[in-house]
Amino acid sequence: METIFIDIAEFLTSWMVGLGLAPLWADLIITILQWAVIVLIITVNTIVLVWMERKVSGFIQERIGPNRLGPFGAFQTIADTLKLLTKEDIVPARADKLIFKTAPMFFIIVSVMLYAVLPLGNNMAVVNLNVGLFYFISLGSLSTICLLMAGWGSNNKWSLVGAMRSVAQMISYEIPLAFSLLGVVMIAGSLNLSDIVTAQNRLWFIILQPVAFIVYFIAATAELNRGPFDMPEAEQELTAGAYTEYTGMRWALFFLAEYTNLVAVSALAATLFFGGGQGPLLPSWLWIIIKTYLIMLVFMWMKWTFPRIRMDHLLSFSWKVLIPVSLANILVTGAGLELFRWMGW
Amino acid sequence: MSAMIINDLVFVAVAGFTLLSALGMVLSRNLVHSALALILTFLGVAALFFNLGAVFLGLVQILVYAGAIAVLIIFAIMLVMHGDPAQTNRFNPSLGTHLAGAYVAALLTMALSLSIWFSELPQVKGKTVEDAAGMLAQLFMGNYVIAFEAAAVLLLVAVVGAIILARGANQS
Amino acid sequence: MIGKGLLKGLGITFKHGWEKNITIQYPEVMPNLQERYRGSLEFDPQNCIICGMCTKVCPNNVLSFESAPMPGSKKKQLVSYTIDLQYCMFCNLCVEACPTHTLYFTHNFELSTARRGEIKRVYSPPAEAQLLTGESQAELIPAEALEPQPDAEAEAKRLKQLQAIKGAIARGNSKVLDKFVDFEEDASLLMTILQADQKKQDKMAELMVDDKNKARKVAAAFVAKEKRDKTGPEEGKH
Repeated sequence: METIFIDIAEFLTSWMVGLGLAPLWADLIITILQWAVIVLIITVNTIVLVWMERKVSGFIQERIGPNRLGPFGAFQTIADTLKLLTKEDIVPARADKLIFKTAPMFFIIVSVMLYAVLPLGNNMAVVNLNVGLFYFISLGSLSTICLLMAGWGSNNKWSLVGAMRSVAQMISYEIPLAFSLLGVVMIAGSLNLSDIVTAQNRLWFIILQPVAFIVYFIAATAELNRGPFDMPEAEQELTAGAYTEYTGMRWALFFLAEYTNLVAVSALAATLFFGGGQGPLLPSWLWIIIKTYLIMLVFMWMKWTFPRIRMDHLLSFSWKVLIPVSLANILVTGAGLELFRWMGW
Repeated sequence: MSAMIINDLVFVAVAGFTLLSALGMVLSRNLVHSALALILTFLGVAALFFNLGAVFLGLVQILVYAGAIAVLIIFAIMLVMHGDPAQTNRFNPSLGTHLAGAYVAALLTMALSLSIWFSELPQVKGKTVEDAAGMLAQLFMGNYVIAFEAAAVLLLVAVVGAIILARGANQS
Repeated sequence: MIGKGLLKGLGITFKHGWEKNITIQYPEVMPNLQERYRGSLEFDPQNCIICGMCTKVCPNNVLSFESAPMPGSKKKQLVSYTIDLQYCMFCNLCVEACPTHTLYFTHNFELSTARRGEIKRVYSPPAEAQLLTGESQAELIPAEALEPQPDAEAEAKRLKQLQAIKGAIARGNSKVLDKFVDFEEDASLLMTILQADQKKQDKMAELMVDDKNKARKVAAAFVAKEKRDKTGPEEGKH
């Protein structure tokens, strides 16, 4: 069970080589297949997550949530997706059409590319990059521009204000996000995500780096534009922020990308702080799914508990609290490492 | 078809993409389009770094240039722009500026090609750098620590200066 | 401690997550309504004593009834009772005023209808009661012939009513026509028709006093014809 997906990939490669294909091309086809599987995982995940989000919010508000289509309303998201697919695609007359149309595409491309380095099990990253964590952070910074494109291209005041807010927020929270991960990197001594997982063989980093985890969790919530940090799309004042003018499938792409980012960030948290695919009995890929879903449940729990934070409080919280705390965390971690080395551990 | 040819093909594709987006940036009549094309150019340069095996440098290129500086540029454009965005990047009609531009461009090209021509670039064969980030870190924190720290202090001073400019010096 | 409130909030939502849902699956499960909930206003024709208290007390003129004198006695009998629920504000005054509990609120809250006219409810006395009065009427005809006195009195009353209605129409007071048409604009339309033609005016006034149902039908026919005439030429222009 542990190596079932790797075995399948190896079997397919050897089968294609056996058919007379050069190993290089076989590898290329396998890589394309891996991406296809990732896109499939993302889509299925989003369908499950939207249903889960609505159920969680329902239970927290003592409602039932979707319950009409299928068992426990499980097919509700599929029906919604079909509705979105058949809706009219409206491009505003005064919009910057090129930017308006390409923004959701870039957004989803950036979100999908995050998965390249995530080890979805032991030895199951698409690319085992030795600076995987850094790749994750720098790719994440690109989604800012996609939101800015959406806000600017729509030629709508709400879109632009929403985009501006989200850019300000994402730039501010990127710094504590990266700094909080530095503590983990210092202990593991590597930027490679698989190496970081192996470094947690004996002890999960959540125990060694609790402050880093809290900072990461808060900053990630802000990066995802999720509640209580969902000021950029505050419905009560900005209709839907940068997504105001989008309809049908273009809007659905944004939605898909948001949930894709949520899964990616949660999977990263599971990888960095909760030992990745490590766990008893079950295969590693199942463990990482379980851990990711538990972390996403906490994200949802927070979203449906806390009220929205005011914009200036939001920014000053990042600059005046999170960044100093994460810097202090780096300092303490470095001092601790030196201390342990001096003690001869 | 060998790996070498595929590598060359990838290089040609990435370089073509980079040049095309650079051209788009220069030729676009819309400043915002220009800025976005500039981001594509940055990404193309990052892809060239990847192609050369310098993954870390490529990622720095994405994080710093495409992720942060480009956003700054777009913000600046949006804040100072007025009127029809489609007419913000008009070509300057006067001959003098054309000549001056051509002169600067020629000078830059010459300086670049000369520096490439006269520097020794020993071919590294078969050996790829495994831990580029670690090596860079050791250089920054070892041999070139003074230059590194000086750059850091310079940036800090610039940031503080910018904040003072934005707030106004008279405010307490 | 910083963040204590946040944890408290998380605790509250966590607790709520496991509590029983308060949702009522409405079409399948009917909501548990309070005993004194005011749903639809209903009328029980059998208990009505035609005292008219309900119509007097109703602030919105929701209620109206028609009665006829019961032949051979001073009692009146109910011809029809109308509840025009679209104007009702469920104030409970009529139910309080009714001495025989003929009017009452039920728990039926599904009051929306497809057409506006359907919300108006017209009750007539139960069939057997009508049959009974019919028989008694047949019996009483000779008695009526024997006593011309009340007849003459009724005739005088009828003439008086007729005079009043004719006067109202001549003055252009379209309120008298309200009860015979569905909409107010139709009433004013009908008024213009009647004022244009003296013959129609007389006929209508007579019908309004003698046979209200027929008057209603005639009024509807007039209005419909006038509307057709109005829109007809315009359509021809296209």
